[in-house]
Amino acid sequence: MKAAIRHLKRNRRRSILTLLAVLIPVYSLVVMFGLAGGNLRDMFDTATRLDTGHLQIRHAERRGMGSALPLIEDPDEIISTLDRIEGIAWRTLRLDLPAIASVGERSQAIVVQGVVPEEIDPISSMRGLILAGRYLTSKDEGVVIGEELAKLLKIDVGDEMVILGVHPETGVGALKVPILGIYSTPAAAMGRTIIQAPLDVARRLAHSIAGATAVVVRVAGVTGPWDARRIDRVVAELRAILPSDYEVLDWRRLAPQVASYMAIIKPALFIFAAVFFGLGALVVLNTVYLSVIERTRELGLIISLGASQWRVIRMILLEAGIISATGAVYGALAGVSLVWIVEAFGGLPLPAAFSSMMKAIGMNPVLHLRVSFSQVALSAAAMAGVAVIAAWYPARRASRLEPVEAMRYVG
Amino acid sequence: MSDNRLIETEGLHKVYRTGTVETPALRGVDLELHSGEFTAIAGPSGSGKSTLLHLLGGLDRPTSGETFLEGRAMSKLSKDELAKLRLTRIGFVFQAYNLIPVLTVLENTAFVLELQGVVRTERIERARKILAELGIEQYADRYPNRISGGEQQRVAVARAVVAGPSIVLADEPTANLDTGTSLELIDLMRRLNSEKGATFLFATHDSRLLDRVSRLITLEDGRITSDETR
Repeated sequence: MKAAIRHLKRNRRRSILTLLAVLIPVYSLVVMFGLAGGNLRDMFDTATRLDTGHLQIRHAERRGMGSALPLIEDPDEIISTLDRIEGIAWRTLRLDLPAIASVGERSQAIVVQGVVPEEIDPISSMRGLILAGRYLTSKDEGVVIGEELAKLLKIDVGDEMVILGVHPETGVGALKVPILGIYSTPAAAMGRTIIQAPLDVARRLAHSIAGATAVVVRVAGVTGPWDARRIDRVVAELRAILPSDYEVLDWRRLAPQVASYMAIIKPALFIFAAVFFGLGALVVLNTVYLSVIERTRELGLIISLGASQWRVIRMILLEAGIISATGAVYGALAGVSLVWIVEAFGGLPLPAAFSSMMKAIGMNPVLHLRVSFSQVALSAAAMAGVAVIAAWYPARRASRLEPVEAMRYVG
Repeated sequence: MSDNRLIETEGLHKVYRTGTVETPALRGVDLELHSGEFTAIAGPSGSGKSTLLHLLGGLDRPTSGETFLEGRAMSKLSKDELAKLRLTRIGFVFQAYNLIPVLTVLENTAFVLELQGVVRTERIERARKILAELGIEQYADRYPNRISGGEQQRVAVARAVVAGPSIVLADEPTANLDTGTSLELIDLMRRLNSEKGATFLFATHDSRLLDRVSRLITLEDGRITSDETR
């Protein structure tokens, strides 16, 4: 071990090159994992905290027209069932109703989300997104709308709009409501189409006294799609105990874009890792090979003195292992430090041009990085392992040197 | 075979091939070496001295013929078996590049013991002891590039004998040394031979060394032309 470290110190330039060949891929991979993880969490949060929740319970009956969901006439029964189940952080009622918003000659197809404002915070971050005006209370007769819709209809806080709600079960309802607040979300499509109103206002539009179209549920201890198993457990339990009149939809069904992103990002990261590991391995192979050639006489001497082939292989692999492990640790530390610094400053805001593009596709214009210990450990260990495997070929070559020829070698 | 017969060769031939060109280095060498001998193989450059030494030490394989070390046929051994034989039965001193540059004098001396799997405390103790016996203990913690050529050769001798091999093979050990240093090194090896019974076989044409050996084998064109015991 001591001799291996001295060898590495003796040829600093080559050792540094080998170290970088491991450090850079590990660092890059940790940052890539961070970007993908941050992105995934943002997408998941945007979808689940603003719109879908982790899961929803809806009426199973598929009827009606358009995108209107069937009404659950007695949702409180489901609420009391949910309150008996472990692992649920919060639940609330919602009534989603397709409607048309109209101001003067301008109109826009929208969805009215009837919510219980006092119950919304554990489920949704909507209150924090209010840009102008204020969020709702249950006593309000008004609505909050997205900034995109406000621009489309050219209205502001304090103005009024007419909402024409249509539900196949209950018919048409119309209300004139004031704009109490305007929200801003990373998802432009949502800002254009979703308005929130107190549940009672939505019920009036739908001519329903106690109905809801969904019970939105947030599962405890879920920070991202990587905690999906917690959600799956609750979904399975609910499916087992709820009557067949109801269906339980998880986030994969409710926010398919997150699941699709996950399906794309995993192989992309795998390819990225394979390319970087491959390049790193080639550099390690090259530097270790050069080191073997440079030390041919020394290796010849060691073999002459009686070192076995395995002993020579072990010696070369030990050196490669030490430098690779060091590179992997430094790469991981550098990557984790970057993630930590970026998050300490609240993320990395994208330039304006990118920012509007990201918003348009429903992604956060501020880049966040999120990486798990297992991702960091796996990246570092895998690259160090690949580097040692890459050193196998020169090590084996070294072990097969003919001692007399090797000792005569003039580099 | 008498009890003290250490090495025996039968019709050793060695031909080097470069492309289609064949260069014979040994042309049928029959030789016996005995324990406790202080022998030199002499001869002009290209006579096959080093080649013979390499074959006797298991560093190279003959084109034909056989070498027996303590009755064991070396040509039948695998690469690793030969390495083990070198490690346990043979000590080497080369003309140059004898020491591992990243190891101190003490570590170089103990290196063979390390390869043999001797525990650290024991190998350090044995290495220090032999360095003291050879009068170079003061260099124990120095690296090879911090000591003179003569001192390096002494360390090589220390390493060659530290594990108590059956024979020490030395290829031109004095070739790069001045007269004074050469004589000191020769005296040192002679002392190890007489006091410890260490068997030495040199390949050399250094007359200062040839004058002190107890047996002189002369090689010419790959054949033994004389074998004289003094």
